[in-house]
Amino acid sequence: MNKSLKKKLESDFDSSVEILEKNGWTITANKNQVLDILRFLKGEGFDYLALISCVDWIEKGEFELIYILSSYLADKEKMHLILKTRIPRKKPDFETTIHIFENAEPYERELHELFGVNFNGHPRLEPLFLDRNYKTPPFRKDFDTRKYVEETFGSIKSVEGKK
Amino acid sequence: MDRNQITKWIKNPKKMGSKYSLWAIYFCTGCGIIEIPPILTSRWDAERFGIKPAPSPRQANLFLITGYVTLKTLKAVVRTYEQMPDPKYTVGFGSCPINGGMYWDSYNTIKKLDKYIPIDGWIAGCMPRPESIFIAVTHLWTMIDKGIADGYEKYKEKYFYYRKNQEKALGELDWPPLHPMKKKEEGQ
Repeated sequence: MNKSLKKKLESDFDSSVEILEKNGWTITANKNQVLDILRFLKGEGFDYLALISCVDWIEKGEFELIYILSSYLADKEKMHLILKTRIPRKKPDFETTIHIFENAEPYERELHELFGVNFNGHPRLEPLFLDRNYKTPPFRKDFDTRKYVEETFGSIKSVEGKK
Repeated sequence: MDRNQITKWIKNPKKMGSKYSLWAIYFCTGCGIIEIPPILTSRWDAERFGIKPAPSPRQANLFLITGYVTLKTLKAVVRTYEQMPDPKYTVGFGSCPINGGMYWDSYNTIKKLDKYIPIDGWIAGCMPRPESIFIAVTHLWTMIDKGIADGYEKYKEKYFYYRKNQEKALGELDWPPLHPMKKKEEGQ
């Protein structure tokens, strides 16, 4: 089953599959085909989306979106799949995956908040954790934390010695 | 009761009463809260020192902040502190409330908690051992004896500055000032 799955992924979807270990694969795909691959994999039994993550490749001007899937079916071998795709950093737009995996909603909200990635079709892209508006989303590489800390928290003066 | 302390009891029973029955409210932020259950239960048994957990901030007079304080939790910390009745004592537990600790360059944690509420004592360490809470409490006893654990009075006195700092960090606060916002002129 695993060999045929690899062949299908490589021929049908024009993606490269790298086998890291027996039960862990990395799939690198074009961004136009991510939704199709996710739909296909869900049909193959990978019905659990564990995480959506993001990496900021600032030198290449790209964000890398990472979808981690796993299968919990008893009759198949348990596997983890990592699906990677890259989107341009200047215009970080991508399609939402809520209609495939419902639990993608908080992950996409989190990425919108921390990296500024827009997921088109997401019902509410509001802040999830943070209480404050940041000019640059704080997890991007060009967010200077030390300067930010000095400007916001360092400028608040101690009460000691005041009357 | 220690017989040597009878004169103290007669002189100032209110102070001695609050000193030996510290009702603690634990603010469970960060990793420090892990140290609290063994302190309360049989191994270290905080009741030997008269410390018991309080069900609500309105019945507590010892405030332990155990860990880093983010902007969201600072709001809750200030509200909790303002609800506690006088006399109230605060202890910052661990290095994060002192100066940020390992989160010193984080974008979302406040670094020095004593800019926003008065702190009577600090317990340094990352994490401090459970015994250090008792060392801190015995220190707090001597401070109460000498009358230098007066953070709650300082809060009233310098409320203008504390509130200004809170507003600077959190933006508009959605509760009214607890004390009158008076600014003393210098030289008075």
